[in-house]
Amino acid sequence: MSAASAPIDGDNRQGIGSSPRRNEDRRFLDGKGEYVADIRVPGMSEAVFLRSPIAHGRIRSVEVPPEHQGKVFFAADIAFAKPIVAASAAPNFQRSDYPPLAVDKVRFVGDIVAICIAPTRAEAEDIAQACVIDFEELPPIWDIDVALAPDAPLIHDHWTNNLYVETRIETGDIEAARKSAPVTVRKSLRMGRHAGVSLECRGVVAHYDRRLDELVIYSSTQFPHVIRSILAECLGVSEGKLRVIAPDVGGGFGIKNNFNPEELAIAALSLKLGQPLRWIEDRREHLIASPHAREHRYELTAYADQSGRVLALDAVVVVDAGAYSVWPWTASMEAGMSAGIMTGPYDIPIYRGVARTVCTNKSPMGPYRGVGRSGACFAIETLIDEVARSVGRDPIDVRIENMVRPESMPYRSATHKLYDSGDYPECARRTAEAIDVAAIRKRQTEVSPDGRLIGLGMASYTEQTAHGTAEWVARGLPVVFGYEPALARFTPDGKLVLFVGIQNHGQGLETTLAQVANQELAIPVADVIVRHGDSSVSPYGMGTFASRSMTMAGGAVSAACAQLAEKIRRIGAHLLQAPRDEVHLADGRVHFGTQSVAFKDVCQAAFLHPERLPEGEDPALEVNAVYQPGRSTGAFSYATHACVVAVDPGTGHTEILDYVVCHDCGTMVNPMIVEAQVVGGVAQGLGTALYEEIPYDENGQPLASTFLDYMIPGATEVPDVRVLHMETPSPHTRFGIKGMGEGGAIAPPAAVLNAVNDALRSLNAAVTETPVTPERILDAIASSAGQRVSA
Amino acid sequence: MKVTISLTVNGAQIRRDVEPRTSLADFLREELRLTATHLGCEHGVCGACTVMVDGAPARACIALAVSLDGAEIRTVEGFAEDAAMGVIKEAFHQEHGLQCGFCTPGMLISARDLIARHPEADDVGIRRAMSGNLCRCTGYQGIVRSIKSAARQLSSQGKQP
Repeated sequence: MSAASAPIDGDNRQGIGSSPRRNEDRRFLDGKGEYVADIRVPGMSEAVFLRSPIAHGRIRSVEVPPEHQGKVFFAADIAFAKPIVAASAAPNFQRSDYPPLAVDKVRFVGDIVAICIAPTRAEAEDIAQACVIDFEELPPIWDIDVALAPDAPLIHDHWTNNLYVETRIETGDIEAARKSAPVTVRKSLRMGRHAGVSLECRGVVAHYDRRLDELVIYSSTQFPHVIRSILAECLGVSEGKLRVIAPDVGGGFGIKNNFNPEELAIAALSLKLGQPLRWIEDRREHLIASPHAREHRYELTAYADQSGRVLALDAVVVVDAGAYSVWPWTASMEAGMSAGIMTGPYDIPIYRGVARTVCTNKSPMGPYRGVGRSGACFAIETLIDEVARSVGRDPIDVRIENMVRPESMPYRSATHKLYDSGDYPECARRTAEAIDVAAIRKRQTEVSPDGRLIGLGMASYTEQTAHGTAEWVARGLPVVFGYEPALARFTPDGKLVLFVGIQNHGQGLETTLAQVANQELAIPVADVIVRHGDSSVSPYGMGTFASRSMTMAGGAVSAACAQLAEKIRRIGAHLLQAPRDEVHLADGRVHFGTQSVAFKDVCQAAFLHPERLPEGEDPALEVNAVYQPGRSTGAFSYATHACVVAVDPGTGHTEILDYVVCHDCGTMVNPMIVEAQVVGGVAQGLGTALYEEIPYDENGQPLASTFLDYMIPGATEVPDVRVLHMETPSPHTRFGIKGMGEGGAIAPPAAVLNAVNDALRSLNAAVTETPVTPERILDAIASSAGQRVSA
Repeated sequence: MKVTISLTVNGAQIRRDVEPRTSLADFLREELRLTATHLGCEHGVCGACTVMVDGAPARACIALAVSLDGAEIRTVEGFAEDAAMGVIKEAFHQEHGLQCGFCTPGMLISARDLIARHPEADDVGIRRAMSGNLCRCTGYQGIVRSIKSAARQLSSQGKQP
C-alpha cells in the first residue's frame, strides 16, 4: 500500500494519484504565456554577441568601424565582472576561468568576444558582422585523441595537460576476477555529441529598477535563486540588490540549468551603462554555443560465468567536456555520474570505473536530461547483450538473472549508491511480456516481404532522484542542493498561494503542487495558485533539475499545508462551536456533522476579524516550511524499455515498430503527467539514439548548426509509446514519491542500439555508436561483409 | 528605407512603415506586440511561428512583412472567439497536448487547419500533417490525441472550422 492511500481528512479526488487537468494550460493555450523574448522594458536596447568564428586562437585586435564606435563592448568594459569558476573538490581537478567575454584567447567556435548593442536585433547583428577580429590562430583541439596527444597544445595555458580531471571507483578485486572468470567480453562504444534544444532558446533581459535600487534580470533559467547568488558574487554586489526572474520558460532539459557567461555579460553591461538590455539567443547560437550534451567514449570489459552472470565490470568513461567547466556542475559531472551508476540495476559486486574528463575546443558540456546515466545505461546494457550472446543465451534472460533482487533492497551497489526499493526483475518481465518477445522472435525467423530486418532491444536503468545534502556534498560541487522550501499563504477570501523555489517549465508543477495541497487541505486544485521563478517572490530555493522538484517541493508544500490544516481545523471548530477532534476538512470547508464553514470564512476570521479566533490563536494563515528527504541517498526510480525496429539493410534506415516502457517512480502524484513525462523523455532519447549529432571537423568547426542539418524527432519519427506503471513507494520521501522527469530519456539509446544490432545479427554486423544513422548502419554492414570476404 | 504596408491582422486594419527585411514574425511581435507567435528557429523549420496568411498556414519567420501588403493575417490571438479553436484548445487541455507551451500556438494553428481540411485524418495522417511543427516536450502523443479528440467533437457537433 502506498503512503498516499493512508487515511486523511477530506476529499481525495484531486489529491495524490488523480489526474486533474493542468492549472497552467489556459494561459499557454490563449497565447498569453510570457517568455523572456516577450518582455520589453522602456528604453531597452537589443544585444547581439560577436562570437568567435574559429576554435582556438589569440585575439590580436578587433576592428570596429567608426560608425559603430560606442556600440561594441569588450572584456575591458566589464572588467569588474569576475570570471565564472566552476571547480570540483576533486584534488587533481584543473581549474580555469570562464570569463563573460573572452579576455585574450578564444577557446571554441561561439566563444564570446564582444557585445554589440542597437535599437533592434537586426541592427545589432549588422554591427557584429561589420567587426573584424584579427586572430593568431592556434591548432584546434577538435577531438579527445587530439587533446590527449603528448605534445598537444594547451587550451588553458597554465594547465599541465588537457585533462580536467580523472576519478576512479574501485570495489572488490578486479584483477582476481580477470584471472578467474570463464567468460570475458569487451566492448568499445561511442555516444555522439549533441545539443539540448529547448524549443525556446535562451535569453536575458536586464534593467535597473531605480525605485528599489536593484538590478532586475529576466533569464530563461531553471534556477533563478541560485543564479542570483552566483551573479551577486561575480558582479560584486549584494544579493539584496539583485532580483532574478525566470518567466515562462519554453523547455529546459538541463541546458538552462547553468550559470552562463551570457547572463553575466548582459547583467554586467546593463549595470555599467545604466541601460536596459535584451539578448535573445538564435537557433544557430543555441546549437553551437549553448552547453552541449553527451559525447562519451567507453572501453568496457565484463567478466562473467558460463551462464552469463556478470562477476565483475571494468569501465573507462571518457567525456569530451569542451572548453570550459560549467557552473555549478563542473566539467566532471557527466563522466563522474556515468561511472558512478555504471552497474545500473545489476548486482555486480566487483567494479573498477575510471572517469576521464577531457578539455577540447568545443562548446562546454552541461547537464542534459538523463545526465551521465544515459551513457552508463548505453554502456552496461549493450555489454549485457554481448555477454548473453557470448554464452549463447537470450539477452532478456541474462538481463533479469543479473538484476538486483527485490529481497536485497535496500541494496548498496559497487558504485556506493544505496538503492532504496523496487522490483527490477518484475519490471523487466512486464516489459518483455508487453512487447511480446515470443511473437517477435517468431517474426524474426520469417522472411519479411520488404527485405527489412527485425530487431528487439531492451534496456533497463535505475536513477537516483531527490538525493539530499550528503550526496551533493560527496559530489564536491560549489552549491549543495539538499532541500527545498515552500511558503503556503491563504488570502483573506480563501484562496491558497504556494510560493516555491522550484521553476516550472512544462512539468505541470502548478498543478501537481496544488494536488499536494489538496491532499493535506482538501482545497480544490483550482483554488490553489503556485508562484515560482522569482527570487523576490518565493523563499530561496534550488530550482528544477535532477528529477527533484515533485519530491522536494512536494514535501515542503505538504509540510506547510499540514500545519495550515491543523490551524484551519482549530479555527473552524471554534467557529462551528464544535470539539476540535470532531471536525474534518472536505471540499474547501470545515465540516462538523451536517454543519460546515467555508475556508473563506476561516480566512476572514484569520485575517480580517481576529476577534473571531479562538483564545490564544495567532491571526493570519501562512506557514513557511523547508523539506529534506528522510535520507540523503536518494529515491531510485527505475524502468525497462523495449523496442522493436525494422532495419532496411539497403538504405540503412531504421523504423521503430513498437516501444514499451515499464517504470516505477514510487507514488505517482498525477499519472497523466507522469506518463507524458515518460513519453516526452523517450522522444528525446530517440533523438540521441537516432538523429541528433553535432560533429566537429578537424578545424574545430561544428558541422550542424541549423534545424536543417541538426535533426530533432518530429511527429512522424516518434512512435506511440506504451507505458506501464509500477508503484513502489520510496521509504525516504513524503508520500513515497520518487523523481521521474529525466528517466524517459535514459534508456532509448541503449534499447535502440540493442534492437538494431539484434536486427543486424544475421549479417554479423554491429553498430557501436550513436546516433545510429543510416550511414553508420551501412558502414557496419559493409565492414562485416569485408571481414567475411577476407576471412 | 522603410516601406508603407497595409494589411489586416486579426480583423484590424493596420498601416505601418516597415524595413524591407523585417519578417512577419518580428512585425507581429515587436511592432504589434502580438507575442503569441513564437520563434523557435527563425529559419522555417520548427513551426512555432505558424500563422494564417490569407487562409493558409505559413511560417511567419520566413515571410517578409513588406511582401504581405494587402494580406489577411490571423494569429492565435485572433482565434480567441473562434468556436472551433475553442474546442481544439479544450481538447489540448483534456488530452495533455502541451507541456512548456512554447510550440503550442503554432500547433493550434496547424491543428485547426488540418481539421478543416481533413476532419477524418487518422493517427498516421495527423502525424504527417503535423510533421512541420516540432515539439521538444510531449513526444507528440498528447498532441495527436488532442487533435483526434477535437476533430471527433467538431464533426459530431457539425462545427467544422
